[in-house]
Amino acid sequence: MAAVATATATQAAPAHRVPNRPNLVSVGTIIWLASELMFFAALFAIYFTLRSVSGDAFFKANADNLDVTLSTINTIILVSSSFPCQFGVFAAERHQVKRTGSILNVRRYGMREWYILAFILGAVFISLQVFEYSSLVKDGHPISENQWTSAFYLATGFHGLHVTGGLFAFLMVLMRTYKAKRFTHDQEISAIVVSYYWHFVDVVWIGLFFVIYVLK
Amino acid sequence: MKVTAKMFFFICLFLVVMVAVYWWTSHDPTGTAALVMATGLSGMIAYYLYFTSRRIGPGPDDRDDAEPHEGSGEQGFFSPTSYWPLVLCLSLATAFLGIAVGFWLVYFAAPFALFGVYGFVFEYYRGENKHY
Repeated sequence: MAAVATATATQAAPAHRVPNRPNLVSVGTIIWLASELMFFAALFAIYFTLRSVSGDAFFKANADNLDVTLSTINTIILVSSSFPCQFGVFAAERHQVKRTGSILNVRRYGMREWYILAFILGAVFISLQVFEYSSLVKDGHPISENQWTSAFYLATGFHGLHVTGGLFAFLMVLMRTYKAKRFTHDQEISAIVVSYYWHFVDVVWIGLFFVIYVLK
Repeated sequence: MKVTAKMFFFICLFLVVMVAVYWWTSHDPTGTAALVMATGLSGMIAYYLYFTSRRIGPGPDDRDDAEPHEGSGEQGFFSPTSYWPLVLCLSLATAFLGIAVGFWLVYFAAPFALFGVYGFVFEYYRGENKHY
């Protein structure tokens, strides 16, 4: 039998040049976060409406019940959690899933270690917020007390729910890295979009903190 | 990409002007807060698109001589069939119904919602669909 080529010589080449386009998961996350921003806009609008209806003096008197020192510490904790989160992204982008040095050698940390650190800081933030709520309720300021408590618990509470959701997202990303045999592009993207979400929640908290605790 | 970023940047600039005009004419804090956040919305998308376009280089939409077919090709990974969104939606709908009619429903729905999230996130990480 004459030597004939029985297999096609080339792999099926893509019909078109693959265009440069961003990953759709991250585009979708950004668009969704933009809509989340409008959700928080509604909460800010609730706060400002109630404030303009019931008077600045009334809101100030109620805001004086807040423990500003505690929430300042809490703000610092949440803001500082964004740094390990971002270092986790850098580690994910260089495809380093776990640490290559000892646990004390921060420079060699991989994505997992940084994300676990960010998770712990976020969990401390939520615990302190729950503590703040419980001491406010103990002092006789439940959500049903007046306009100010309604606005305060709704705004900070919805933010707290978002942080809790972010903690679950961290867990999911970490579980993905443990479940798969290797660190894939798919996991890198999910790690990056969770960091987008985390930074977003962080920035929203800075706005809430400034409006509720600082401006009063 | 770059042209899309510019569009959102112009929306952002427009809203910056609108915030000033609105506040100056009405002194209404509620609408101003909403407009400020809308500025942030468009600014955030503009920044993301600008940042990403610098990273990945110009696409077909940035060139005047591009043809429509150049934008075709693989868009991303989409699950062909999945029941997990249904599980997640039904359990979350039940949970939110519970907030309205009786809180015990939330406790009933929460485990299903967690199960739904788990199934959704790990659908392609386990079982016969495992491909990572």
